[in-house]
Amino acid sequence: MTTVAEPRAASPIAATWRWLVGLPPAYPLLAILLGIAYFTHPHLLAPLFLMLMLRQAAPLGLATIGQSLVIRCRSIDLSSAGIMAVTSYILTSGTVPVPPLAAIALCILVGLFIGFVNGVIITVRKASAVIVTLAMSIILTGVVIAFSQFRAPGDVPQILKDVVTSRIGGIPVAPMLWILVLFPLYYVDRFTVFGRYVRAVGSNPLAAEMSGVPHARIVLVAHTVSGLFSVLSCFFLLGFVGVGTVNIGQDLALNSLSASILGGVNFGAGKGGMWGPAAAAFMLTFLFNFLTSFGLGEPGKLMLQGLIVIVAAIAYSKRQT
Amino acid sequence: MTRVSMARVFNPRFGSSPISLGIPIVVFIFLIFAAPHFIGGENLSNLVNQIVVLLIGSLGQLVVALVGGIDLSIGSLVSLTSCVLSTQDSLVTAIPLCIGLAVLVGTANGVGTAVFGVHPLIMTFSMATFLQGVAYFILPAPSSAIPAGLQALAQSNIGGAPIAIVWCVAAVGVTYVLLRRSQLALHFYAIGASPPNAHLNGLRVVPSIIAAYIFCSLSAVCAGLFLSARVASADPTMGGPLALDSITAIALGNVQLSGGIGGVLGAVTGALTLGLLANGMNLMGISPFVRSAFTGVLLLVAISLQKRKVIGL
Repeated sequence: MTTVAEPRAASPIAATWRWLVGLPPAYPLLAILLGIAYFTHPHLLAPLFLMLMLRQAAPLGLATIGQSLVIRCRSIDLSSAGIMAVTSYILTSGTVPVPPLAAIALCILVGLFIGFVNGVIITVRKASAVIVTLAMSIILTGVVIAFSQFRAPGDVPQILKDVVTSRIGGIPVAPMLWILVLFPLYYVDRFTVFGRYVRAVGSNPLAAEMSGVPHARIVLVAHTVSGLFSVLSCFFLLGFVGVGTVNIGQDLALNSLSASILGGVNFGAGKGGMWGPAAAAFMLTFLFNFLTSFGLGEPGKLMLQGLIVIVAAIAYSKRQT
Repeated sequence: MTRVSMARVFNPRFGSSPISLGIPIVVFIFLIFAAPHFIGGENLSNLVNQIVVLLIGSLGQLVVALVGGIDLSIGSLVSLTSCVLSTQDSLVTAIPLCIGLAVLVGTANGVGTAVFGVHPLIMTFSMATFLQGVAYFILPAPSSAIPAGLQALAQSNIGGAPIAIVWCVAAVGVTYVLLRRSQLALHFYAIGASPPNAHLNGLRVVPSIIAAYIFCSLSAVCAGLFLSARVASADPTMGGPLALDSITAIALGNVQLSGGIGGVLGAVTGALTLGLLANGMNLMGISPFVRSAFTGVLLLVAISLQKRKVIGL
């Protein structure tokens, strides 16, 4: 048996360089940001601050997990704002007369159900995912606001606040939960049939379909899971805020999209795996805090934020082609 | 209607179906009976005034959708237009400045998506964030300082009819000519159907996509001009929901976001449906939140009835 020669016998340095260049933009950007912060705002790098930022990144991180899964299947989920409005309503309005734990379970079921409905409309009726999830978000937000218009927002169940804001050995639990979730998902992505199917559907839906991959069912599952992660992300947000609000997580749908892309997951290409998008979620959170610490004010912050995402996306896309 | 002209209206390339065409008609007839004072000169002229901005935005969104793109930046561009207007004293300088701005933004969006291959959602969402920042930078709070003579562009009457009608007819006319009588439109449809095939057939894909984004940005600036003139003030958050509204409108008109399918009629019927719903349910005293939920349901039903071939975006 002959061994297949590498196309180019690369030196370790060249190989390392190629590996570095192929990394999703989240990693180099994070390195650059941390580097600048080291010189300009060293206090941002104190473990305490980094923990806080990690905690702050957790909701975006969770939403990004769902979003990146859907994006791998060449679909998209913009319904998180609507799902979050419903979650917040169930947990805090006091109109759903069930004990807190049951309310939390109910939210999870509702999230799964909404994701499932999204998936059914997208796969069975073959409607555009952008429109379906957008419409879903509009409907849910509209209904919830109409119901809760004349009512003061209530408190978030104590148990949720306790879990989300607690610390174990000085380390906040929220980011730990987020990172713990990533490990089994990493395994699912890399080593299970489902992970392979997602990859097949993403790289070529038609070929996947013809090879017997249950294309529609994979997309359906992805959307259902994405609905679940919107709810989980909302739990974190509500736990941090402590009070219900229907306007929670408004920018999460599009920010999780940015995080997925910057983390190396593109429509149909899952290069960044599970860690890329997670790193990107942390990078974006760090970026928002970093820009605030410069005292730029809202205008400068928005401008830089837009520019940095554009430049990163351009640099990454350019390399891939 | 004869058979031949029916076939032209429902040509699959233009996307309009009996459903997308029927919705605004059904809504209109319903509102005649259900909403008090719906049929009255005053309300109808209000209706036209309310629809113009959405209609112009939707026509721009339509052209971008035809090449398989999407533009989330038009809302921020409308806001930015009004902020730029507030810095100018005269329309002579203000209008060229706004047009230059549109060309710049459209080119950037087009180059980002067509040359660098950034997904249009990411490109235009980041652009929207950036433009919103610029808008706040120029004008932190709403102001009533707008160029002299701007108000007349939106608030005068022509033979008893509001001048908004002229804006509507002009916008629809320009887009119709562009999409039905120009060679560029043929390129748009070909690129939307399949960029690689269009490229292999010798079409210059990149300039065409850039042109589509520039057209969309121009339409956003026109919408911004009209809106600033109508409310006679500048506001850095004015354009807010326009991007998503215009996407809703063209989707109601069965314009496919995957590209290659859609027509002026679809954008018009979609914008008309949304405008009629907003106006009519307002007259009936229904909460705007219930209305938006109803719009969502309608959108979901309409899009589910108009089946496509592919699953996904």
